[in-house]
Amino acid sequence: MNQVAAKQRTSWRVVDIVVASVIAVASGVIFWAWSAGMPLFSLAFVAFPPAAALLTGVWLFPAVLGALIIRKPGAAVFCELLAAIIEALLGSHYGLSVIVSGLVQGLGAELVFAIFRYRKWNLSVALIAGFFTGIFAGISEAYILAYYVEYTSSLKILHVLITGVSGLIIAGLLSWLATRGLAKTGALSALASRRAHLESGKLAAK
Amino acid sequence: MSSLANRGADAQTRRGAEISARGFSWQHAERTTPAVSDLDLNIQAGQKVLLVGPSGAGKSTLLHALAGLLEVDESQQMRGELLIDGADAFARQRPVGLMQQDPETQVVQSRVADDVAFGAENLAVDPEVIRERIPEVLDAVGLGMLSFDHRTQELSGGQKQRLALAGILAMQPGLMLLDEPTANVDPEGIGPLRDAVLNAAQLSGATVLVVEHRLEVWAQHMDRIIVLEPGGGVAHDLSPQQLMEDQQLRAELASAGLWVPGYLPQIQQVTLQPGGTLLEAKDLVCARAEQAPRTRPVTLQVRAGTATVIRGENGAGKSTLALTVGGLLAPVAGQLDASEQLANGLGSSPFSWKAGALIGRIGSVFQEPEHQFVAQTVREELAFAPLRAKAIGGRELKYEPEQVEQLVQSLLVRLGLEHLADANPFTLSGGEKRRLSVGTVLAASPDVLILDEPTFGQDANTWRELAQLLVAQLEQDTAIIAVTHDEHLASVLQAEQIHLAALPSGDVAKPKGPVLDAPVGDSWLAKINPLAKLGAVATATLPLISTLDAVSALVIVVASVVLFPLAGLSPLKFLKRAWPLLLAGLFAAWGIALVGQDSGAVYAQLGLFSITEGSLQGGIATGLRAFALAIPCILLLATTNPSDLGGALSQQLKVPHRFVLGALAGMRLLGLMIEEFTTLTLARRARGVGNFGTLAERIGAKLGQSLALLVQAIRRAGRLATTMEAKGFGTAKRTWIRTATFTRTDAAVLIAGIVLGAAAVGAALWAGTYNLVWS
Repeated sequence: MNQVAAKQRTSWRVVDIVVASVIAVASGVIFWAWSAGMPLFSLAFVAFPPAAALLTGVWLFPAVLGALIIRKPGAAVFCELLAAIIEALLGSHYGLSVIVSGLVQGLGAELVFAIFRYRKWNLSVALIAGFFTGIFAGISEAYILAYYVEYTSSLKILHVLITGVSGLIIAGLLSWLATRGLAKTGALSALASRRAHLESGKLAAK
Repeated sequence: MSSLANRGADAQTRRGAEISARGFSWQHAERTTPAVSDLDLNIQAGQKVLLVGPSGAGKSTLLHALAGLLEVDESQQMRGELLIDGADAFARQRPVGLMQQDPETQVVQSRVADDVAFGAENLAVDPEVIRERIPEVLDAVGLGMLSFDHRTQELSGGQKQRLALAGILAMQPGLMLLDEPTANVDPEGIGPLRDAVLNAAQLSGATVLVVEHRLEVWAQHMDRIIVLEPGGGVAHDLSPQQLMEDQQLRAELASAGLWVPGYLPQIQQVTLQPGGTLLEAKDLVCARAEQAPRTRPVTLQVRAGTATVIRGENGAGKSTLALTVGGLLAPVAGQLDASEQLANGLGSSPFSWKAGALIGRIGSVFQEPEHQFVAQTVREELAFAPLRAKAIGGRELKYEPEQVEQLVQSLLVRLGLEHLADANPFTLSGGEKRRLSVGTVLAASPDVLILDEPTFGQDANTWRELAQLLVAQLEQDTAIIAVTHDEHLASVLQAEQIHLAALPSGDVAKPKGPVLDAPVGDSWLAKINPLAKLGAVATATLPLISTLDAVSALVIVVASVVLFPLAGLSPLKFLKRAWPLLLAGLFAAWGIALVGQDSGAVYAQLGLFSITEGSLQGGIATGLRAFALAIPCILLLATTNPSDLGGALSQQLKVPHRFVLGALAGMRLLGLMIEEFTTLTLARRARGVGNFGTLAERIGAKLGQSLALLVQAIRRAGRLATTMEAKGFGTAKRTWIRTATFTRTDAAVLIAGIVLGAAAVGAALWAGTYNLVWS
């Protein structure tokens, strides 16, 4: 019976796959709508582009949100990778390298959930996962894909830190709040996170 | 599910399946009462059965059980047995077809032929056989005129349902289950859909089970009508004849909320006293957006205490007209004026009013109630508008908090939602959600109430409750405008009817925003294996990541532009596709020029930052590299359908097909979600939430809207997953009607990509500009 329970906890059902895909797609729509509706932000970034890193978290929330909702190994990587593929399919000035970014970002969050053995989905784990997906994103942008070769080395470090903070707030905190909000509406009734809104909001809760 | 293997072509599947239930009970996890209990039932092979009963009688649960979709785990929630042809239904020995009510999630794939083939492929039927079946089943459902590559997203709701039916037929099931198949289909689509189902039943000989509360559509064509009891068991088992003749039975069924043929719910007639004019439209022309098709000009006068019903064919723009009259869209041409009585101190154009002022004057109820929910409980939902309502012209609130409480309490009573005051609005039943959505709008006490298809999908009881509410509102001098096909509603409201003529043919609504599965044309590159193209683009562009220099980037950009004709791209077509990417490249260049490492002459000083010779060169190289990464991708995207890429990934690279096809199915919903997000913007403005107020309020509103989108998206995903599982999608080996091949030409394309990547780096080394970015 324990084996059955363990299998239920780790294996993906069709509904898990489709919901994860739709989360990735919806994330694309939300980003598309936000960027169309927030010209003020874009202006600020033209004046000082590194500040754009503050919004990187928007690109990262599929990783944490997907994992918090699906609660299966690989959910963070799957959602983030698929969101990146959709971005590439819609056309991105990063070309195919956006898919590499998606993989690395997803791994950042996945690593954290794996360390907690896919058993803990509380606020602090969400925040740590958000922070790490941000740090991974920053490192891949500044050092691996090297989009910012011309940055000074202190600017690169600043960039990594800003993406980390952005990940913590947008990908971590907002995803956790969103999961609770979604669970309240009953939309998650077929998923492992169906009772997320009844779980304690304390940082150290299970 | 593996037991569902290759039985598709079996001779015995050409006859219907026999169903028998013996004391069958089922209780969902975390529920206290069973959905189905002690059901005894026998349905002979090939019978056509209409299954009816009040909501909560377990009809959908029974269908899902028969389709083998209920998850059996150790918590022992099942008793008795449910057999199909003598075998346990949960073992899924023979294919069973299931159609649900939401057309958007009955279609899985983005091209017509792929969607028809999906179920049969999952059953591992020989692709040759499936290809033969596709035209036959499309003909059987009346969709024979569609090309195999037709985009499924462009079909109407009724056509989508018929396409789903074709896919079910291609599986050659012995049993077809239809769960309210016409509930979300426009009236003109219902007849063809019903006929397609009957034709399919005749051709296949399959047993058919239809769940519907609109009996009229089906009853005459069925062999039997089975009425389920709430809480379990069969209440009645009748012939269509009895349904027409047995008066006592008819009354009983009607009081359970069923639409018995020839029976119309009665509402007490009232005498209405028309008041002053509130709104006047003269030659009003409406459109969703600048580029969108426009409605024909409309002239109408709206008076207090009267109802107006807008009718017209599908796609004539009735909803667009309602949104415009509701002050949510700007008129494109003509006049829309509010009288002084309605405007009450504001300008005469409703669109110019702020959301807070609009909701107290004109209230709009959207077709989908969930689009307008903004709060956590029913009580908060009703208090939302009055708490924000401002007194005329002033800044003080219109109501004291105690007054709001009283108002909410009386609304709860009127709506019959007292016992649900603290429930989350999303968890209500369909009828309750509808009443709440009307209630939330009434809470702001508007003088004009506009409703879009308010009775769509309602049962006879919820219909009566809603109609009563609206009549009471008319008596209180509210003007009502309703977009509806419902003639009985129009007569109960004593409405004046206006007919909106259809648009000139060919001028139908086209989806806007990005699409993932645009047609790829028939250029030379379109015929190349997607993986070969992907590999070529990757090997040509990814080496550029290692260096930041203008020479290697320039090689790739020039080579890609030279290859445009192979992809059928003209410079103009290219610019249309690529301008956002080009802009982003320029933006990246500017960023580096601003903050990059400074050296050499200073060209400009902007506060803390300076643009120097060194940083400008860095900027140019960065911009060119962005172009070099992006432009080859355009070649790939313009010539590749994502479904083909997915098929190749799964067949040739052995990526698990569950994940590939699951992802593709989700991606198909992209256009729908974009549309939904736009609708949510309007629906929330109609609740007084929108793009105004402080920055924090705006961000809060956007976050709420994003959450609302996620709710809809995840619900859809759940229904889509059910459809896919019912079509045998799972872990078993499947076949593909589009077989991916890898020819010498494909290999040549891949090698060309590798050579190009090497050439770019070689050119940079030769020119001495190569600089390894990781050093």
